[in-house]
Amino acid sequence: MQEPQFHKLTPRAIRVWQWGNFIGNLFFFAIPAAYAAVFGLDGFHFWMVVITASIIFILWQLSIFLTPYLSWKNWRYAIDEKEIDLKRGILFKTRTLIPLSRVQHVDTRQGPLLRWYNLSSVTISTAATTHEIPALDSVLANRVRRQISTYARLAEEDV
Amino acid sequence: MSEFQRQHPVAAVSRALDLIRGNFITILVFLFVGAQSETFPFLWWIGGGFAFLLILGVANWWRFLFKVEDDMLHIKSGIFVRKNLYLTKDRIQVIDITSGIIQRMFGLVRLDIQTAGSSSRQAAIDAITRDRAIEINRILRRGTQKSDTPEDEITELAQEPDEILNRFKLPHKELLIAASTSGSFGIALSIIATIFSQVEPLISESEMFEYLFNMLPSQTDTMMIISIILIFIVFAWLISFFSTLFTYGNFSLEVKENEIVVSRGIFEKKRITVPYNRIQAIHVTEGIIRQPLGYASIHLESAGYGDGKGTGSIVLFPLIRRSEILHLLNDLLPDYQKEHEGIRPPKRALRRYLFRSAFFITAATALLYWGMNFNLWIWIFPVLSVYWGWLKYQDAAAAAGDDILVLRSRRLSKSTAYIKKKRIQDATLIQSPFQRMRNLCSIQMYVASGDHGKSFRVKDLEYNDGLKLLNDVRKNGIEFSELVDEQVVNKKVPLPGWG
Repeated sequence: MQEPQFHKLTPRAIRVWQWGNFIGNLFFFAIPAAYAAVFGLDGFHFWMVVITASIIFILWQLSIFLTPYLSWKNWRYAIDEKEIDLKRGILFKTRTLIPLSRVQHVDTRQGPLLRWYNLSSVTISTAATTHEIPALDSVLANRVRRQISTYARLAEEDV
Repeated sequence: MSEFQRQHPVAAVSRALDLIRGNFITILVFLFVGAQSETFPFLWWIGGGFAFLLILGVANWWRFLFKVEDDMLHIKSGIFVRKNLYLTKDRIQVIDITSGIIQRMFGLVRLDIQTAGSSSRQAAIDAITRDRAIEINRILRRGTQKSDTPEDEITELAQEPDEILNRFKLPHKELLIAASTSGSFGIALSIIATIFSQVEPLISESEMFEYLFNMLPSQTDTMMIISIILIFIVFAWLISFFSTLFTYGNFSLEVKENEIVVSRGIFEKKRITVPYNRIQAIHVTEGIIRQPLGYASIHLESAGYGDGKGTGSIVLFPLIRRSEILHLLNDLLPDYQKEHEGIRPPKRALRRYLFRSAFFITAATALLYWGMNFNLWIWIFPVLSVYWGWLKYQDAAAAAGDDILVLRSRRLSKSTAYIKKKRIQDATLIQSPFQRMRNLCSIQMYVASGDHGKSFRVKDLEYNDGLKLLNDVRKNGIEFSELVDEQVVNKKVPLPGWG
């Protein structure tokens, strides 16, 4: 017997994460803005605002141009008749096994960004936890969902 | 039993009281605000409020119907929005019979039927006679395995599972030890602190402090603070002592053909029925005070909700001598394989354990000592934290049997968990950058328990051992390609090691 067949996510996932982080992390600039609003921009406070804003700017840029690539590079998933196997993580590498007999329900989800790129995410819930395969081609996502629910039905056992 | 029935009318009262208890803070605030204004028609409001709640309770009681048919419980409830709840017996995780003080005055009980998932919180019948509760319990519990046997055989079978095969009681001495070393001590302390912080502005104005000040032998501020803290601790201890005494008094554990029945409580009696095939995991906890005395408590995880907080933990035995745990578990769960050869984290993981435990405490101590000129004695905390880290390292271990995993770890108290492999909901291996440098990993296993599940975790195992454990959980036992086959010299430890 050998290692199960691992798949990668679609490269389009990178674009989705880039846009998502571009918009989502803009929010953090509210921190120096709020600081400036409360304390003003004189002397010491001016430098505080400049420093926090530039740190946030650097992290923002990294979250657009670096982490999506690394995240995509590290994501792997495999599905067979018995288990779902997920590998992910940039710094903290995580590997999760979900026995298919424990899967309660699977669904596909699609936000506006994912829809634009014609992608979907697949969410797998057990009685204890919920896991997500974040960005798959919509057609593929539906196939994965069907595959998981078929296997799960075959592996049916009581909670 | 196939007709729709109402509950006993007492349900209306207990429902109203439940509403009061649920909104206690709101009512209290309301009363305080009200009492301060002159024009407030105080009695009218209170009377009206109670009347309203009573009407609500009666309406709820009137609109609540239940029946049992075809091994299914059907509950209709809701005043305006009608809710139909169907519970089939195959899905029932735990059956809970409680009798509070009001119910007991009328010889009634409350019946909770728990399924996996949070909606089960509504499946409760507030007030029915004990006989009827036991009858429903029996109908819903009987013949889970053989549902297609003829009718007359079922009635025969229905008697048999009710026979008590074995019964365990908690001796008085153990009950007293359990009460005096109870873990709810901290909770009690925080309750008192909260109350004090609310009341403090009132009494600091009064002569109370002056009085205390004169009473105490030494009249310095430090002495005063220390004695106040001591008084708090004594109070907290008393609260936790009596609450544990009342919760676990009359404890008994009955073993039946295919279920365990736990009954306990002095004022509020509780009777919990857990079928064997619904047990998700067993864990034995040795608290920091109890461990040196040689005692531990045993808990059971169920997919029902257990207590009100949404965790599925049920106390299987509140206090037991360490040397007797294995006997009890052998009687209770003979199909759990109990003794294994466990793997411990390698020696190079020790420094990670020490660092994790001691770092923040040492940093905080240094800050307090140099920054705020605290007494030299506070350096005892970092020393203790190093010892704590060492204990955590000593206690971390994992083992895999044929169909079971044993995970042992320590936060404050030492916990040993037995999990059947087929009960594991998800198994995760995590590697932080530093762990990768040292070729270590942490593993985490989730089982279903209450609303969110419960995780058991062992940190800093050898990466290869972690992969082996993960591979053990796999059903088809595919070997990972990363798995090194060479025999690494491991530190082995016999589990569970309760002697």
